[in-house]
Amino acid sequence: MTKSEMSRTAHTASAGQEQESAVVVDGLHRRFGGPTGFEAVRGVSFTVERGEVFALLGTNGAGKTSTLEVVEGLSKPTKGRVSILGLDPVADRWAVRPRIGIMLQQGGFPSDLTVTETAKMWAGTLSRPRPVDEALEMVDLAQRATVVVKSLSGGERRRLDLALALMNRPDVLFLDEPTTGLDPESRRNTWRLIGDIVAGGAAVVLTTHYLEEAEELADRLAIMHNGRIVTTGTPTDIAADYPSTIAFGLPEGQSASELPVIAGCQVAQSEPKVVLHTDQLQASLSELLSWANARGVSLTALQARTASLEEAFLAVADAGDDRDSSQQATHHVA
Amino acid sequence: MTSVTATTDINPRHPVGIPRRSRGAAILALTRAESTLLIRNRTALFNSLLLPVLLVAFMYQTGALDRPELNTGALLITTMAIFGLLFVTYYNLVTTYVARREELVLKRMRTGEIGDFTILAGSAVPTILVSLLQLAVVSIAVPFLTDLKAPTNLLLPVVAFVLGTVMFALLAAASTAITRNSETAQITTLPVVIVGTALSGVFFPLSILPETLAAVGRFLPATPVVELFNLGMSGTSRDGSQVSLSESFTEALVPLAILVVWLAIAGALAARYFRWEPRR
Repeated sequence: MTKSEMSRTAHTASAGQEQESAVVVDGLHRRFGGPTGFEAVRGVSFTVERGEVFALLGTNGAGKTSTLEVVEGLSKPTKGRVSILGLDPVADRWAVRPRIGIMLQQGGFPSDLTVTETAKMWAGTLSRPRPVDEALEMVDLAQRATVVVKSLSGGERRRLDLALALMNRPDVLFLDEPTTGLDPESRRNTWRLIGDIVAGGAAVVLTTHYLEEAEELADRLAIMHNGRIVTTGTPTDIAADYPSTIAFGLPEGQSASELPVIAGCQVAQSEPKVVLHTDQLQASLSELLSWANARGVSLTALQARTASLEEAFLAVADAGDDRDSSQQATHHVA
Repeated sequence: MTSVTATTDINPRHPVGIPRRSRGAAILALTRAESTLLIRNRTALFNSLLLPVLLVAFMYQTGALDRPELNTGALLITTMAIFGLLFVTYYNLVTTYVARREELVLKRMRTGEIGDFTILAGSAVPTILVSLLQLAVVSIAVPFLTDLKAPTNLLLPVVAFVLGTVMFALLAAASTAITRNSETAQITTLPVVIVGTALSGVFFPLSILPETLAAVGRFLPATPVVELFNLGMSGTSRDGSQVSLSESFTEALVPLAILVVWLAIAGALAARYFRWEPRR
C-alpha cells in the first residue's frame, strides 16, 4: 500500500467507522524543540482494528518510539490527529487511560520495592485492576513476588512492566520493544500471552527490533525510516514486494560471464559467490539448473528462497539517510 | 506462564464512563509504597525522622532558645516547625523526586490513569506526615520541659504550617530542575536550607541585623512562617512588641502576603521547570 492509499484508509476510518477502529493515526507529525527543531515523525498514518496486532518496525532513530508516545497521548502531536477508541488520547485522557495499557521502552520502578509491592502500588492507581496475583501469574513472576526490583534480571523487569501494562485489562495495548532482553523461552511465553490478549478482542500496537517477532505476531506492520512509514501491509505482502534470491558458488575455471542471461533475473553479486535476484523464482531456477546440467557444471552451496521480511527491512535500512532512495527501496532492491 | 482466558478479561462493551478510582485511593496506594521505601532507606529515615528533633533538642539544651521577647516553649515548637519544613519537607522531597525521576519511576507512573498532581502528592505524603509527627511530638513534650504560655492566636501558626508545607513541597519540585541526582541534592538545597533558616529569625531576631540584611531576611521563604508562629504563639510582632489577639490579625497580613507570594512563585517554577524524566 502506498502512502496516499494509507492516508485514504485512515480518512475513511476516521470519518465513518470511528467506533470500529481501536486506533486511528492520521498525518502525524512530531517536532522536538520548537519550529526549527528536529522533526522525528513526518506524516505517519495507520489504523489498528480490535483483535489485531500492528507492529512498527524500523532502524534505530526511525521514529517508532516518538510516534508511539504521541499515539499513547504522552505527548501532543505537532500536526495530525490520533483517535483511540474514538477518543482523543490527550484531551480525553481521563476516559482513554483506563482502557489502554502502556509498556514503555524504558520505564522504571523504585528499586527497593518487591515485585508484589510494585504491582500493588500500580493496581492502587487503577479503576478496574486485575488481582495482583493474577497479573504476576500471567507473566510468570508469581514465584518472584517477594524479590525486590533491584535484584530482578533485565528480563524479569521487562515482564513486571508487562504485568503492569496488562493490569487494567486494556482494550488497546501499546508495547514498545516488549521482548528486548528476554530469553527465548520468555519471549515465546510473551508472544503467547499477547496472542491470548488479542484473541480476547484487544488491539495491540508494538514496536520491535526482532523481525521474527513481527512475522510471528503482527497481522499488519509498517516499516519506518526517517520519521516516515516506508512500507506497510501484512508480513507476507511486504515480503512479496521483494525479489527472491538464488545463491551459489561456481566451480574452478568457470567465470560468471559465462552464465546465461535469464529473463527477469538480476545479478546482484558475482564474486566470490553468485547472487541472483528474481521475481520468478521457479522459472529462473529451472533455467539455471537446465543450463548447469547441459554444461555439466556443478553449482556449490546452492540456495534458493523467497524474500522474507528481512529483505524488506534491510532494503529500507540500506537506503540510508536519503529520503528519495528510501522510497524507491519500497519497490526495488538494487 | 498460565494461559489466560482473555475473552472474560477484555470487555469491548465497557462503557466510556468507567467508574473512576478516587484520587484519594490512588494517593493512598502511592503513600503506602513511598512509606515502605522511606523505612527501607536508613539514611533518609535518620536524616528526616531523627536529625531535626536532635537539632532542636541540642538548641534547647544550650540555651539558644532563651530569648527575652519570646516564650521559650513557643520558640521550641516554632524551631521544630521550621526544621521540619526545611530539612524534612523541602530537602527530603527534592531527594525523593529526583530519585524517582532518575529511576524512570515518574515516567512510568505518568503512563497510568492518575494525573501529575496525584503522582507528586502521593510521593510527598509520607514526608509531610513525618514533619507533622515531629511537630506533634515536640508540642506534646514542651509543657513537660518548660513553661508554655497560652497561644495568642492559634490560627496563625496552623495556617503558616499548612501554607509553608505546600510552598516548600512546590519549591522542592522546582529545585529538582537544578538537581542532577539525589546525591547532588545536598548541594542544590543548601541556599534555601542554610540561608533560609539563618535569616528566618528562628536563631536570632532579624532586628539585630543591619537594616538591609534584615530586609532581605524578611522576604525569604521561611521567615513569614517564623513571624506568623511568633505572632500566634507568643503574641510578639516582628519589631519585638507584644500584641493582642485582634492586633495579631493585622500584624499577620504582611508575612501572610509574603508567604502567599512565595507559594505562587514556587508553584510557577515547579510548573515551568519540573522534568518527568532524566535529561538525555
